Amino acid sequence: MADVVRFASMGTRVELHRFGAGEDDALTAAQHAIEAVDDALTIHRPSATTALNERLMAGKGAAIDDALLFDALVKIEELHASTLGLFDPAADRRFASAGWSAIAFDRGAARVEVSQPVALDFGGLGKGFALDRACAVLREKGVVSACLSAGESSIAVVGEHPLGGGWPFAIPSPLRPDEILVEIELTDESVSISSTVGAGTAAPERAAMIRPADATIVSVPRCSVAIDRLGAHAEAMSTALLVADEDRAERLLNGDRTRRFRFDFPCGAAIPD
Amino acid sequence: MTDKDFDLSRRSFIDRVLMATAGAGMAAAAPWASAAALAAPMAKGDRVRLGVIGTGDRGRALIQNIAKTRNCTVAAICDNFELHLAKGRALVDASTRAFTDHRAMLDAGGLDAVVIATPLDGHKQHSFDAFDAGLHVWCEKAMARTIDDCGAMVKKSQDSGKLLQIGHQRMFKPTYLNAVRRAKEGEIGAITQIRASWHRQSSWRRPVPAGATDRQINWRLYRDSSAGLMTELATHQIQVGNLFFDAVPTRVMGSGSICFWKDGREVYDHVALIYEYAGGRKLIYTSLLNNARYGCEEQIQGSKGTIEPELGRIYQELPPKELALLRMQADVASGHKRTVPIGGATWFAELPVTTPGDSLGWGEYDETMLQFEGFGEAVRTGKPLPGLLSQAYYASVASLLGEQAMDSSQILNWPTSLVAT
Repeated sequence: MADVVRFASMGTRVELHRFGAGEDDALTAAQHAIEAVDDALTIHRPSATTALNERLMAGKGAAIDDALLFDALVKIEELHASTLGLFDPAADRRFASAGWSAIAFDRGAARVEVSQPVALDFGGLGKGFALDRACAVLREKGVVSACLSAGESSIAVVGEHPLGGGWPFAIPSPLRPDEILVEIELTDESVSISSTVGAGTAAPERAAMIRPADATIVSVPRCSVAIDRLGAHAEAMSTALLVADEDRAERLLNGDRTRRFRFDFPCGAAIPD
Repeated sequence: MTDKDFDLSRRSFIDRVLMATAGAGMAAAAPWASAAALAAPMAKGDRVRLGVIGTGDRGRALIQNIAKTRNCTVAAICDNFELHLAKGRALVDASTRAFTDHRAMLDAGGLDAVVIATPLDGHKQHSFDAFDAGLHVWCEKAMARTIDDCGAMVKKSQDSGKLLQIGHQRMFKPTYLNAVRRAKEGEIGAITQIRASWHRQSSWRRPVPAGATDRQINWRLYRDSSAGLMTELATHQIQVGNLFFDAVPTRVMGSGSICFWKDGREVYDHVALIYEYAGGRKLIYTSLLNNARYGCEEQIQGSKGTIEPELGRIYQELPPKELALLRMQADVASGHKRTVPIGGATWFAELPVTTPGDSLGWGEYDETMLQFEGFGEAVRTGKPLPGLLSQAYYASVASLLGEQAMDSSQILNWPTSLVAT
């Protein structure tokens, strides 16, 4: 059996493809899991995150009542550390000194305090975080083979390819789609692709990639790819690789050169006609 | 605009109509348009004398367009509401006779034809009275409040030997005529669906001035006098559908409701219908009064492209893509494992095309004037503009059949007892 659901969420188009075993309502349940993350983490309509941001931007602390938001904050704290501080959803072009370091997250008390006004943007984490929860639901529902896509840059797979072995994907150059940057195989993994160039990066709703250290925009033509067991980790790593300087990029890449990639393109490269 | 400017733009407009209607295919598809465009100018004293019944907003717009023609003149006006009559007087010469009763206007003589711009439920009686007075009739759409009354008007016109022309300005608009020509030439392939909508953000309720009643001013909102969105808006667009499909519907189904403006009105403020045509082709129609996002448009959808005449755009279909994720499903089903490219043009399917398309061309000017020049020519020659009445008749019938389908919650077949045109 093979089935698919397609829907809009997380500001993008989501497709969930399931092959073989699993309960009938598995895909519907996975869709609900993704939509629940969107409802909690969106900053584009009223949500637990927008309510939190109102407090944080006023320089005030806040209790974290929403379980999904709490889990996301736990994940951010972990990923901020594991990416050498380069993944920072509180970095803000408006305030160069803003960032995760201005936030004190007390897990035990489920409370956030801030030392200066900041706001959280889960755009760099949300899709992977949501796919992780959808994968978990699918596994609970007995699904052993599935491919999940959120936009053109976030993929997660459950189990092996229905014909056996890993899921084969090719990642084209964002500047020359006919050229392949890297071919990968995934098994129970996620991949995240980040880029400063290519179709979609100029879309009005897309925020520029900024360096947490000084809130400057990363303007060098670059693409990064990260594979991880968890989508949230892959998202954070691809973002970190994109904004990292040479030294820290090497340190991150050395963590796993078969699962992390960074491609720099010639300066002045542009989207081809 | 100076007279010279007007003459130049008029000439350009007529040239475009003639260009759009040139060729054998168009001569058959829209024969009325070129006939109207070739109307002979007439000396002021020889022009077709029109008596306008109804000088409300629409009637006054018609008076202004008649004044632009080179073969018609307003010889009398009539309205039973003094405020409207006074506004009508302001648009015509002081010597133009004004009446509060249309029978008195007909009895006074001195007319060749009447122009009827009254509430829908008056169209039949006003046209009958004019025919009985030996006059030709130009009547606003829709034709009448019932399908039987529409047929009766056609029959009365035939029996009296007088012309009946119904106002459908899109049938004279160069953009539409050019769109039909390009469709006839196969540019958008086989047309299998038309999506048409007229969406407004408006209650449609007008303030009632002193001396008038609500039903007099807001007659569109009450069933005795109107079928609401169907007769006032849909009839235009169904006519466009018939024109592009070159057919009348075979049956109609629909749903209507008063779901937003619950203000005592009797007609639907939200309608959704499917008109089926031979071969499974469909006109999907919606009209509503609480959301104007998609406005007024007809999307003519063919196998090779789409035409949106209100926007004046034509879009070519892109070659079908081999979609990456869709292909993955097919590969697995056939036991074939191959690498899936992430991202790029083939990653996702079925999103709306957001390309701007190409200009259809020729959108400006007021085609209502041309309707009257065509009517003036028809009166002068005694020959109706070919094909025009049947287009209007079928559009009115279709709009009223749609109302019946919604009222009865039934699928209704195209009537077999219509008057032959």
